[in-house]
Amino acid sequence: MRRILRALDGATQAANVAGSLLILVLMALVGLDVAGRNLFGAPVPGVPEMVTLSIVAIVFLQIPQALRAGRMTRSEAVPGWLSRRAPWAGRMLETLFDLLAIAVVWVILRSTWPIFTRAWDRGEFIGALGDFTVPVWPVKATILLGCALLIAQFAARILRRWAGGAA
Amino acid sequence: ETYNVTVAAGHPPVFRWVRMISEQFIPTVQAGLEGSGHTMTFSEQYGGAIAGVGEELEAVEAGLAEIGTCQALFDPAKLAVQNVTYYTPFVSDDVRQVATTVDAMHDDNPDMLRAYADNGVVYIGAPIGIDDYLLMTNFPVDSLDDLDGRKIAAPGAAINWLSGTGAVGVAGNLTTYYNEIKTGVYDGVIVFASAALPGKLYEVAPHITKFGLGAQYAGSLCANEAWYDALPDEVKAALEAGADAAMQWYHDDLESFVEIALTKMQEAGATVTEATPEMRAQWADGMDNAARVWADELDAQGRPASAILSAYMDAMRAAGATPLRDWDKE
Amino acid sequence: MSPFDIGLIALAAMFGTVLLGLYVPVALMVCSFAGVWAIKGSPLLASKLLALAANDAISSYFFGVVPLFVLMGFVVSEAGLGRDAFDVANAMFRRLRGGLGVGTVGANAIFAAITGISIASAAVFTKIAVPQMIRHGYAPRFAVGVVAGSSVLGMLIPPSLLLILYGILTEQSIGDLFIAGIGPGILLAVFFAVGIVAMAIFTPRFVGRPDDVDDGALRPAEMLRKGLPIAGLIVLVLGGIYAGIFTPVEAGAMGAIGALALGFAMRRLTWGKLWTVLVDTGMVTATICFLIIAAQMYSRMLALSGVPGGIGAWAAGAELGFWGLMLLYVAIVIALGMILDSSSIMLILVPLMLPVVVPMGIDLVWFGIVTVLAVEIGLLTPPFGISVYVIKATLDDDSITLADIFRGAAPFALMMLAVLLIVIAIPSVATGLLPGR
Ligand code: NA
Ligand code: NA
Repeated sequence: MRRILRALDGATQAANVAGSLLILVLMALVGLDVAGRNLFGAPVPGVPEMVTLSIVAIVFLQIPQALRAGRMTRSEAVPGWLSRRAPWAGRMLETLFDLLAIAVVWVILRSTWPIFTRAWDRGEFIGALGDFTVPVWPVKATILLGCALLIAQFAARILRRWAGGAA
Repeated sequence: ETYNVTVAAGHPPVFRWVRMISEQFIPTVQAGLEGSGHTMTFSEQYGGAIAGVGEELEAVEAGLAEIGTCQALFDPAKLAVQNVTYYTPFVSDDVRQVATTVDAMHDDNPDMLRAYADNGVVYIGAPIGIDDYLLMTNFPVDSLDDLDGRKIAAPGAAINWLSGTGAVGVAGNLTTYYNEIKTGVYDGVIVFASAALPGKLYEVAPHITKFGLGAQYAGSLCANEAWYDALPDEVKAALEAGADAAMQWYHDDLESFVEIALTKMQEAGATVTEATPEMRAQWADGMDNAARVWADELDAQGRPASAILSAYMDAMRAAGATPLRDWDKE
Repeated sequence: MSPFDIGLIALAAMFGTVLLGLYVPVALMVCSFAGVWAIKGSPLLASKLLALAANDAISSYFFGVVPLFVLMGFVVSEAGLGRDAFDVANAMFRRLRGGLGVGTVGANAIFAAITGISIASAAVFTKIAVPQMIRHGYAPRFAVGVVAGSSVLGMLIPPSLLLILYGILTEQSIGDLFIAGIGPGILLAVFFAVGIVAMAIFTPRFVGRPDDVDDGALRPAEMLRKGLPIAGLIVLVLGGIYAGIFTPVEAGAMGAIGALALGFAMRRLTWGKLWTVLVDTGMVTATICFLIIAAQMYSRMLALSGVPGGIGAWAAGAELGFWGLMLLYVAIVIALGMILDSSSIMLILVPLMLPVVVPMGIDLVWFGIVTVLAVEIGLLTPPFGISVYVIKATLDDDSITLADIFRGAAPFALMMLAVLLIVIAIPSVATGLLPGR
């Protein structure tokens, strides 16, 4: 159990690292585009398209780690009060919330799958043919990956909550 | 029977191609259904309320909307062959001619309709024509040499049009043209008159040169395939009549507005110059044949772009257009 | 049950679940899914709406640069440039009660001239200003309130993504809109500054105890040493935009590159620190963009229910005269601001109002400024207040709760309302700088 959770955290961290690197790449791309346009009259083609795609990838690569690090937005007043007054009820409420989250992220994962397979099968792209195009399937794949990690992290919260020190 | 129909458009209703839905399409459809025993009520979801620009086709395919503006221009992967006009500049500056031709191709060319069927939607008409693209610059253009080294913004595939001119093509966006020309990020744009006037582009780029880059086709109304197939014939006929009325209204309104736009921009101090035939020929001859590259790439994906390219060029020549380049024959 | 009723229930459900402590994006997604299912009678359709929004809602060039603006701010903070800037501000305003708060507002007004999005302002100044203000004795709640309040300047002072969006919706010149945003932006900054000083004098318990220990004036050389780097960065970014070297959208990347270069040149940044900054940038970006995706799902569900359209159509048809219509409009925008994100409110309401305000001869540029001011109040109001959420995500400090930040921001929301009423009463505050009006 502990090994599985550690592996999950490792995978979450790795996705997070990939997202951070992507931010650096974006910065460099825009910088090169500006320099190319002004200094050499040669803009880097496709930078707007790359930026458009990357932001989606960055979000889905990093949201699982944001949850793990306790960064996801919520109002803690009621859960905090409940866990002080009635710890068991507090844990039940939190578990219900995690289950809801798993369900709704699963819905997104499940309904993004056909979008991914179609993008893959048909070689869907953004950009203008003849100038610059990028395939969109890698981004769809990161949405799937991010949703899967997010579901696993919500499940891990339930495990850690009820298994106590054992996990 | 009563049909509840959601209509989706990513653009807000100040755009003519959204207004044509409320002003003509819906009333005509409802009038056509009178006495048929069917009624149709519409829920109009514009301005990205349920689908953004370029996402309408997906929303219609999913069934979130029954009808939508399928914007080939903003969805070039799914409606790839429909973008044929953007790869064939210097064909015709007559927007009605371009729109009618593309519309007619949807009637009798199965290759055109396949792109819709592949995405679970049906073409119902009302083609959105875009008036002749102009070159608007903050410097006078007396010869093509004046473009050398200048940064010119162009939308999407139109960036290919700048190849061979010596200008630096920058991917641009209508919404930010004004400020970016003003600060000097670009020295000019390729844009159409009906957008240049409301965007006040003549203030920052007052030198308007008509090269006859060409009018374009941007998209059409489409419907969810499963929903449409289940409709009785008289309802389908009413939708078609609505689309025809919308097309008529749209192009009447657009053509008169283009006249107004050019006049008003001149009154505001802009200069409108017709490029000489030599300048036009020089630009056209210097271009790469992007249509060829485009068609070959799509052909390789099993999409019949070469066939569409020839069909479109033939249809335009038959309609009396005189293309500066025969993009399909090179 | 009619779609309208379902929409109303979905509103109540969102309020309820967020207050109970469900993660805000999860609450929005669950309500959207259940709402569309109920309206359209198909869970499959509901799941498709969620998927399309997840894939498309933030897939744009404008959202793409959010992490770059955040990165610039975090590098500035990590390299200690923010702290230097605040030492300078503190020395300059040391005789003023609440001087550091005033300095934060001023710095935010300057930063607003390079960023088009309030999210970036909120993230950057949470890093730069909040720790310094707390270090100097301000109450944490007040410190975050100042940052939340002044973050709205980011979208009022040009460049502004919201004004661009309004310009597209109404075919108004974006250049005119930008110029019209300057007056109200400065007025709002002045209101904030005066309000901070007044609160420091009259409500010291709310503000905290800014240290009276006068460190003395900084020697000019010291002032230069501390002030020059950050001033140089601002000049680089502002100059780059206004000299036409890069666009406001590209400014985030150019600023980040500049800040990195400065940080390494001054030997204040190490590869290790850079890595921490990058990870932090990613998590804040992800948290906020995930929220925006969820808010888009919710907004699309509400649009299908017809609730916002119904309310807007009712207001549009109410025939209230100028002041009645304006006040009702502002009230509706503020009410929607509690639950929807800024762009959704504009997309839904502005097209509805246009046919009403145009025949009244209302100046659409002025109407745009009124709209943006009213919409931006929603950044500070619970339960869905994106500036407050950004601060919470950036702060990563459990001792400051969401409720604390909302309370701290409340006086600033009220000051915005005051400025909004002034702009409605005296349109020339907005349109005075425009030639020919
Ligand atoms: Na700004
Ligand atoms: Na709010």
